[in-house]
Amino acid sequence: MLTTVVAGRTFDYSHAVGGLYMPMPVAVACGSGDKVYVVSRQYEQILDVPWNQTATFAQVNVFNITTTPGEEEHLVKISRYGDAEGQLIWPAGIALDSDDNVFVTDEWMNRVSVFTSAGEFVKCWGTPGAGHGEFNRPSGIAMDSDGTLLVSDSLNHRVQRLTVDGEFISAFGGYGSGEGKLDSPWGVTTDKDGFVYVADHKNHRAQKFTTDGEFVMSFGSFGDGKGQLTRPSDVVVDNDGDVYVCDWANDRVEVFTPQGRFLTSLRGDAQDLAKWHREQVEANADVEKARRRVYTLEPEWRFAMPTGLAFDESKSRIIITDTQRGRVQIYNKLHDYMEPQFNL
Amino acid sequence: MPNKEDIALMAHLMRRAGFGATYDELEILAERGYDATVEELLQPEVQEPVDRYDLLRYHPWSWKPGTIQGTGHATWLFDMVNTRAPLLEKMTVFWHGIFATGVSKVDHWDEIVDMVDMFRDKGLGSYKEMLIEVAKSPAMLYWLDNNENHAGAPNENWGRELLELFSMGVGNYTEKDVYECSRAFTGWTITPKLPRFPMGRFDWSFEYREEDHDGDEKSFLGNRGNFNGEDIIDIICRQPATARFMARHLYNFFVADEAQVPAWQTVPPRDPEAIQVLVDAFVANDYDMREVLRVLFNSDFFKEARFSRIKSPVEVVVNTLRFVGGHEFPAPGIGNLGRQTGYMGQEVLNPPSVEGWHTGREWINSGSLMRRINFVADLVGDVNLPGVQAILGRLRGAGEMPPDGFVDMCLEQMGPLDLDTQTRQELIDHAAPDGNLSWDTPTQADLSTQRVSEMLQLIVSLRDFQYA
Repeated sequence: MLTTVVAGRTFDYSHAVGGLYMPMPVAVACGSGDKVYVVSRQYEQILDVPWNQTATFAQVNVFNITTTPGEEEHLVKISRYGDAEGQLIWPAGIALDSDDNVFVTDEWMNRVSVFTSAGEFVKCWGTPGAGHGEFNRPSGIAMDSDGTLLVSDSLNHRVQRLTVDGEFISAFGGYGSGEGKLDSPWGVTTDKDGFVYVADHKNHRAQKFTTDGEFVMSFGSFGDGKGQLTRPSDVVVDNDGDVYVCDWANDRVEVFTPQGRFLTSLRGDAQDLAKWHREQVEANADVEKARRRVYTLEPEWRFAMPTGLAFDESKSRIIITDTQRGRVQIYNKLHDYMEPQFNL
Repeated sequence: MPNKEDIALMAHLMRRAGFGATYDELEILAERGYDATVEELLQPEVQEPVDRYDLLRYHPWSWKPGTIQGTGHATWLFDMVNTRAPLLEKMTVFWHGIFATGVSKVDHWDEIVDMVDMFRDKGLGSYKEMLIEVAKSPAMLYWLDNNENHAGAPNENWGRELLELFSMGVGNYTEKDVYECSRAFTGWTITPKLPRFPMGRFDWSFEYREEDHDGDEKSFLGNRGNFNGEDIIDIICRQPATARFMARHLYNFFVADEAQVPAWQTVPPRDPEAIQVLVDAFVANDYDMREVLRVLFNSDFFKEARFSRIKSPVEVVVNTLRFVGGHEFPAPGIGNLGRQTGYMGQEVLNPPSVEGWHTGREWINSGSLMRRINFVADLVGDVNLPGVQAILGRLRGAGEMPPDGFVDMCLEQMGPLDLDTQTRQELIDHAAPDGNLSWDTPTQADLSTQRVSEMLQLIVSLRDFQYA
């Protein structure tokens, strides 16, 4: 279903972008203009070498992605695999400030690395530990309207509020499954009113908190039915307050009203290949043949372990990193949708 | 309080039915008792399964990895290091060695990992059901060309190996049986899958195509009928040769090194009475693997067979990682770690042929021996690892100790390992020049830590340590 109309909302599939510069995308953020920043975290290249030389790809790539399929352009590569300053081992989350400076969490190095939008390394901060400003596998990251960073400090089971220089402000959460407690949180985001939302990964839910970390409400419960979640990885909120939870292990995105009522599932609808994917197919006659012999192409339309979400306010569109398929899929949230004649 | 013999017997059980155990674990298990531990090993369902999402979260590439060596191995290594059901995982290794499929041909790690997952799911159940699942496994269908086995144009690869390597063994069937068996499996094939380019791997699945199945009458092992694949497997499981063949495999894997499969037609079993006990258990329990293993682990021939098998590379690597600890979290480099068994001659998910791996002395050559020793020595020499710390703690707790006591305690912690007099004396001679092991001052503690580390490395370099 390319267009879903539900409860006065319209979610309309737009297009996919990927195939080049986007292996195993795990996080995404929207910058100024048409810029989209995508974090990739790909293979370990298995060689009999020390661990910090084993991977091929840990990078942020910057694209121009307009509303028109096929217009995408690759702009900039940021960073590379490694444990030196300015390099990344396990990049996990991304946040941008108002100047498009890039903040990337590194789950292995237990630090946040900062780059300019042009890819120049600025600084990194964070050390392993459980104290204030210390990290144990920092994953999701977001910046609120005041310029304060929120970092999902995953294996410390908390969210930390930090300055852009890494100075500790406050923390909330703590290990557990009760209201306000967290178990291995992953993605984090804020809404326009300053509320904080956390993908509470091993509690199979998303939680909403006040700016000060007071529990407000919860979204979803464990399972694979409508509105249920299994190992959610990220969460974003659109301009209307609707909440999108990346239901990682169920290969979908679950959409909820601000009050927590289930609206719909986005499962991936890439019936047309992304531009760079299409070029690869057309370059290989055997691939073309093999595609013609399958019973259905539907498996390739769908998400495979989608991991990261971003809501692009300027275009009212949600961007989903379709991690295992090396692309992002984009849905527009339309506000001017005209119903077709129903009995055509 | 368990005595030394209780500990030694428990260590033997855990080396064979699991991936070894630390001395702390052995004390707890021995206190619980041998019979109770066997029963616990035979009931893996009560254990929490390994959480593979933890691996996927940190290594998203491990979902359906490309054909890069080590990437497929990482998933199984993660399972083996973290499992709380070690016998079930050991049986998974057992089945993979018999129903051997490899990425060298299949070229999809995920399909073979799926097959391994099936082994884990069915590993302690019915052998007959396992054979049917194997026959439907996409990895096996492709590996042995059954997708090329058509009505009117049979391909005998799967049919032949089903009889030769997966059930009865050479000498128990005719070429005609191979042909008829193959006819019965025509139409057992795989759905076409989307190509791996440009979006990564997609799944195969089993498909039965009635229109491509030879439905005519077949004659197989003295039976006549319009047999399909399930009928063939049913007939196979009624053959005494099948129970004998599987009994010999189990004996070789769990009890003592045997002659290798190609020699079974001419070389009698090392212990014919033990094989007969296992054959009887197979027949009496309708090929239920759990019941056969219960008989095996409670038998005297098993309890008496200590250090009579050379450890497989999987045992070398996984036993060591579990023993030293600190490898439960899937750190960067897990792919390299997964590749180590391959350097020692057992690249899991990629056996050298459909016959699986030859075992026993064939694990050892000058290259693989060095790999085995260096791998284990590097890890037991790392005094920061929790398992090594535990050994240091015990030695420190024992206070000042003469060289012979120091050596004996290290041998106890590393096995317990019984050495011949000469080898033990050589270790004592090595320890003697530095005098007693003592921990009273920081300098002495540092020196003693270094001496323990070196002693553990010497012990794992011994011939005796290569045996399970």
